[in-house]
Amino acid sequence: MNIAVLMKQVPVSNDVSVDPETHALIRSSSEGMINPADLNAIEAALQLKEQTDGKAVVFTMGPQGTQKALIEAMGIGCDESVLITDRCFAGGDTIATAKVLARGIKKYGEFDLILSGALSADGATGQVGAMVAEYMDAPYVGEIQGIKYDETDAEHVVAIKKYQDQEYHIKTELTAVMSVCFGSNEPRFATLRSMRKAKTKPLHVYTNEELQMAAEDIGLSGSPTIVTDSFEPENERRAEMFTGTPQEMAAKLKELIDNEKGKE
Amino acid sequence: MGKKRIGIIGGGISGTCLGYHLSLYDNAEVVVFEKDTIGGASTAKSAGTVCLFDDSLKNRYWDVRLYGFESYLKMEAEEKGSAGFDKTGTLVVATDKKVEATIKTGIALAKAAGYSGEYITDKGRIKEILPDIATDNILGAGYTQEDGYFDGTMISNTYAKKMQKNGGAIKTGVKVTDVKVVDNKATGLTTSEGEDYEFDVIVDCTGPWSKFTGEMVGMDIPIWHTKAEAFFLCPPGKKLDYTFPVLKYPAFYGLRAGDNIFICKSHLSMDLNNPMHAGQWDPDKLPATGGTDDYFIDFLLDQLEMRVPGIVDSGLVSSWLSYRAEPKDFLPILGKTPVEGYMLATGYGGNGVIEAPAASRDLAKLIMRDEMTPLLEDWEFNRLLK
Repeated sequence: MNIAVLMKQVPVSNDVSVDPETHALIRSSSEGMINPADLNAIEAALQLKEQTDGKAVVFTMGPQGTQKALIEAMGIGCDESVLITDRCFAGGDTIATAKVLARGIKKYGEFDLILSGALSADGATGQVGAMVAEYMDAPYVGEIQGIKYDETDAEHVVAIKKYQDQEYHIKTELTAVMSVCFGSNEPRFATLRSMRKAKTKPLHVYTNEELQMAAEDIGLSGSPTIVTDSFEPENERRAEMFTGTPQEMAAKLKELIDNEKGKE
Repeated sequence: MGKKRIGIIGGGISGTCLGYHLSLYDNAEVVVFEKDTIGGASTAKSAGTVCLFDDSLKNRYWDVRLYGFESYLKMEAEEKGSAGFDKTGTLVVATDKKVEATIKTGIALAKAAGYSGEYITDKGRIKEILPDIATDNILGAGYTQEDGYFDGTMISNTYAKKMQKNGGAIKTGVKVTDVKVVDNKATGLTTSEGEDYEFDVIVDCTGPWSKFTGEMVGMDIPIWHTKAEAFFLCPPGKKLDYTFPVLKYPAFYGLRAGDNIFICKSHLSMDLNNPMHAGQWDPDKLPATGGTDDYFIDFLLDQLEMRVPGIVDSGLVSSWLSYRAEPKDFLPILGKTPVEGYMLATGYGGNGVIEAPAASRDLAKLIMRDEMTPLLEDWEFNRLLK
């Protein structure tokens, strides 16, 4: 089974700023990492790949620096990666991003399954996976916990969803798009050896020269979303440092716990 | 006798340790200014290894090592956990005759101070201590069970607490924005809160930031940054069934970090002329995690394949990049500068946790008694002007 994984690089910390005019998140000031839920999507893809002897190709849209995250994804086990990068794609909302990703996937070739993380750690819209399904005219199952594959029925997979302590098994034909929940599996780590090997794996770069997207479909002009306001949440958490002997500090801690209990 | 007012810029291991040693003098009035949190910057990224014998500090400075080690042991004895001591022991591997001689001298010095240590040539015994090690191409290893690593952040906070108990003051979340210099004498400073302070002595304890701190008094502090690139590895079996000791090779070192293993390139293997290793950068732009160079993966893979093959297929849990601050001779800069009343306790490189107690003890003596010591003479600023 050939699987595409949509990956996003997100800031390591919450230390991102907001552009006062466009209300967009300014991410350039922070080191990037693979979006945590996308690691679960990668793990789900690798498990299926190993089960079915296929390949996993990771896609991302972003600036050139995102290559590092793609190499890490290949270090974790993905076979190839595709960086979709062009200044004209910048500023795109989820619709414009999904259109570009869908075009990039089609440009690469045929896939049986397309996986994404259910939510990104920064924007957290959860929209891109579903929109990619729409633009690829493929069925979509969102926020899944796992995927079952039966080799006697290679045309379908079963997505496992959980809702209010119930487990739902949803059978869908392939090609399908699914978003994978954060924490639904235990992502494997890259190793030093696999990271070295990753540097030799194919990393394709698509610009708009390859994708031939119309200007009205991409970037700011292809983004109907209007952000009317954005703000940085006020941090109301306050730390209190205990001082004194261990016994005194333990007594203060107990008092604090007792007080909090009383509030329930 | 009037009080001597001392302002310390920087609340890492250097600033808090100096603040504590100064607070032991009745006539010292100490204020430490920290722009963020105590021991939260480069100190927090220190491995905190204070080993009885390894190559991190020349045997010539044995008493510096011993004073640091015993200071932290006492701290830990006074209040368990206050120095974050993890007594894993240390295995220092001899890869050639020169390293072997250094280890043997270190063992002799440790024994003279009443600690245990042995030089092991029985490869089977070395593998009993560290089953994942390769014993080909090594001569032997020095081993002691009595040391390990400490937690620089815990130590800094403990020193800060002890200093406050002695009457010292700490201003956290407060950045020093200006140092006042009148007739080539530092007289006070201004903070980000807009407050002015007058001091008799101001000490720069800002480590990787010293180049910028020095600019406030018009000095070019000859500090270089070397990269401390570290990985946290999850062993192949996810949990080791033995105590991973502090492991020292000339090119890298490792220690346990919970169930993971922390691995870092040693600072003495850094080449100040290699732009991949060293430069002058802005520590404020360092990411909290990540930021390591690709070359480091190749370096570490080669080293572990050859030296500790049992952990080479560990998972890469996380990584970080820190800047060590050091002058070209890799020794700290302590004491007076051409600007009267402006002193330095910086440039510890990777050895701040080891060296700060002895250096602070001696620097406090200079500040309060105007007495020099052999250590201050060795590490004085003037040597770098020659």
